[in-house]
Amino acid sequence: MTPAVDASPLSGLLTVPRPEGWEALRTAAEARLTGQELPDTSLEDWKYLDLAALRDLAFRPAVAALPALASADVQPYVHPEMMASRQVFVNGFHAPHASCATGLPPGVRFFPISAASEACRLLGTLGEGAPDLFEDLNTARFTEGAVLLVPQNVRVEVPLHLLFLNRPAGDGALPTVLPRVLVALDRGAELELVEEHHGEGAYLSCPVVEIRVAEGAILRHERIQRESPEAFHFGALKAEVARGGQYHSRTLSFGGRLSRQRPRVRLAEGAEATLDGLALLGGQQVADTHSFLHHAEPHGTSRQLHKCVVDGQARAVFDGQIRVAPGAQVTDAQQQSRNLLLSEKARVDTKPQLEIYADDVKCSHGAAVGQLDPDELFYLQSRGLDPEDARNLLTYGFAADLLARIPVASLRRSLRHLVLARTQAASLGDLA
Amino acid sequence: MLSIKNLTASINGTPVLKGIDLEIKAGEIHAIMGPNGSGKSTLGKVLVGHPSYEVTGGEVTFDGKNLFDLEPDVRARAGLFMGFQHPIEVPGVSNAAFLRLAYNKKAEAEGRDELDPLEFDDFIREKIKLVSMKEEFLDRSLNEGFSGGEKKRNEILQMAVLEPKLAILDELDSGLDIDALRVLGDAVNRLMRPERALLVITHFPRILETIRPQFVHVLSGGRILKSAGPELAVELEERGYDWVLEEAAAGGSR
Repeated sequence: MTPAVDASPLSGLLTVPRPEGWEALRTAAEARLTGQELPDTSLEDWKYLDLAALRDLAFRPAVAALPALASADVQPYVHPEMMASRQVFVNGFHAPHASCATGLPPGVRFFPISAASEACRLLGTLGEGAPDLFEDLNTARFTEGAVLLVPQNVRVEVPLHLLFLNRPAGDGALPTVLPRVLVALDRGAELELVEEHHGEGAYLSCPVVEIRVAEGAILRHERIQRESPEAFHFGALKAEVARGGQYHSRTLSFGGRLSRQRPRVRLAEGAEATLDGLALLGGQQVADTHSFLHHAEPHGTSRQLHKCVVDGQARAVFDGQIRVAPGAQVTDAQQQSRNLLLSEKARVDTKPQLEIYADDVKCSHGAAVGQLDPDELFYLQSRGLDPEDARNLLTYGFAADLLARIPVASLRRSLRHLVLARTQAASLGDLA
Repeated sequence: MLSIKNLTASINGTPVLKGIDLEIKAGEIHAIMGPNGSGKSTLGKVLVGHPSYEVTGGEVTFDGKNLFDLEPDVRARAGLFMGFQHPIEVPGVSNAAFLRLAYNKKAEAEGRDELDPLEFDDFIREKIKLVSMKEEFLDRSLNEGFSGGEKKRNEILQMAVLEPKLAILDELDSGLDIDALRVLGDAVNRLMRPERALLVITHFPRILETIRPQFVHVLSGGRILKSAGPELAVELEERGYDWVLEEAAAGGSR
């Protein structure tokens, strides 16, 4: 057997001692990492995401940002709707002065995971499928993150904000942040969660988010990846939705040099899920989504719309697996992968996969890769927009379509501005 | 205002307009009627520059300018408008933002002041009354998920916003119930001015009871077979199109 990730540039991350708590989980993850090299593109799962760029880099655990971030540094990322319902982490460390959770209804608990200890027995138990090495890395060495618990039948009116800000280190090695998040909604609870990742400079971010939606509970989850252009982001999401529960998520990927989103959702009887995604890429960015939606029991419903807008020499990957288990009758699953290529060198690889082991189901999937629709272009031109404006407006609309239902107005607006700027549509004026 | 001389056009190499002559002057309302597949919609789309059609001959001038020298967006800013039979859906772009953009592009071309979002808001709230559109349709994506009737309402709203010199309305009545047809017909009438003109393309004469043309043309097989006054629409309502086609075949077209 080859030595523990020695061959991998990530090996240095395991030389630090195991943090307190979850010893069994951590040891198991570490054991899986032993002998694992950085995967290469000969592996089906990594065929389109070349990790070669990581090989020549050195990584080390992130340290607390010094000097600590002033509130003025955090201000641009704070939304008025979530002033008193936010937890902020800088370089993976909890920033108590930037956080405020006083606006939550009684019984709702939202606190740093370092204060949770092993009492959170759910951790590491949710979701299905084998973890990849980045998830194992997180499990083996995470020190910080957030826990969010919503008691039975509590409907939280105010949206909650989970903000991760990352700052570069000055010493050449890439700081590695391993945030861990656990969200558990008890029966009949309802919540809106906004998870944002922002950063500057080069670093590696490997967040793991675990979610339990109990019977009849509803979680709406906005996930916004705005890491820096030099950053690496490998995120895992593991959700379990109990009978009649609903989990609706939207993952928006704007940043990162290399990034992967790996959502995995298990649906019990009559559960519903939305797993929408947008990747808006340019330059040399590579963004990959590997999703797994498991209809494990009957009467489930799922909707997945994944869009990529790819410019420059960027590359987007979508591998969307939907599994309908034997006996999961009357499942209704729809998946759409829609992709817009804006330059000759841009590239999309899309691979929808339906695995259906039940016979009474309604499942559909479709994938389209292309340029703008000439009929749409003509329609806008016939209203007086010149061809360039028409193209930019349609590109903006293609991406902004996924922002329309974001329930936090200030967030929706700021993302629309970001999309306007990234689609050259800013010259069209304020469309947000 | 619009002068069409011996216009021919084709789609994928197949001729669809085979020599159209038509003069439209300011203040006039013309109706083009004809059986399905006659080329009526094609004429409209060729005039506004739809890329699927190739103009193979003839001349069209609009306000003295050669229409085919102008790109479709330039034609629009010069005051040519077509309300489409099947308007396109554009997800992600709010109707209000699109309308303001279109309005401001035209205002800019005409050297008028552009409207900022607040000013435009007041402006558009007046305009939607004209077509009895609910305000919620302003915030929704352009035509996305609109019913056939709502799309037609939105087309006439765009006409009200852009105030074209010549508006071509293609099958405005399709997808509309009788009440909505009256509302939109009245709206079009109220937008009519002595310095403007209308070209109404329709299969059914019904809409011409509200929007009353001075000139009615029957188009079939890519040619105008008959032109007359409004009484022709009444006759078509009673007798259908066959007699016009037969008359033309017998060489009796006027």
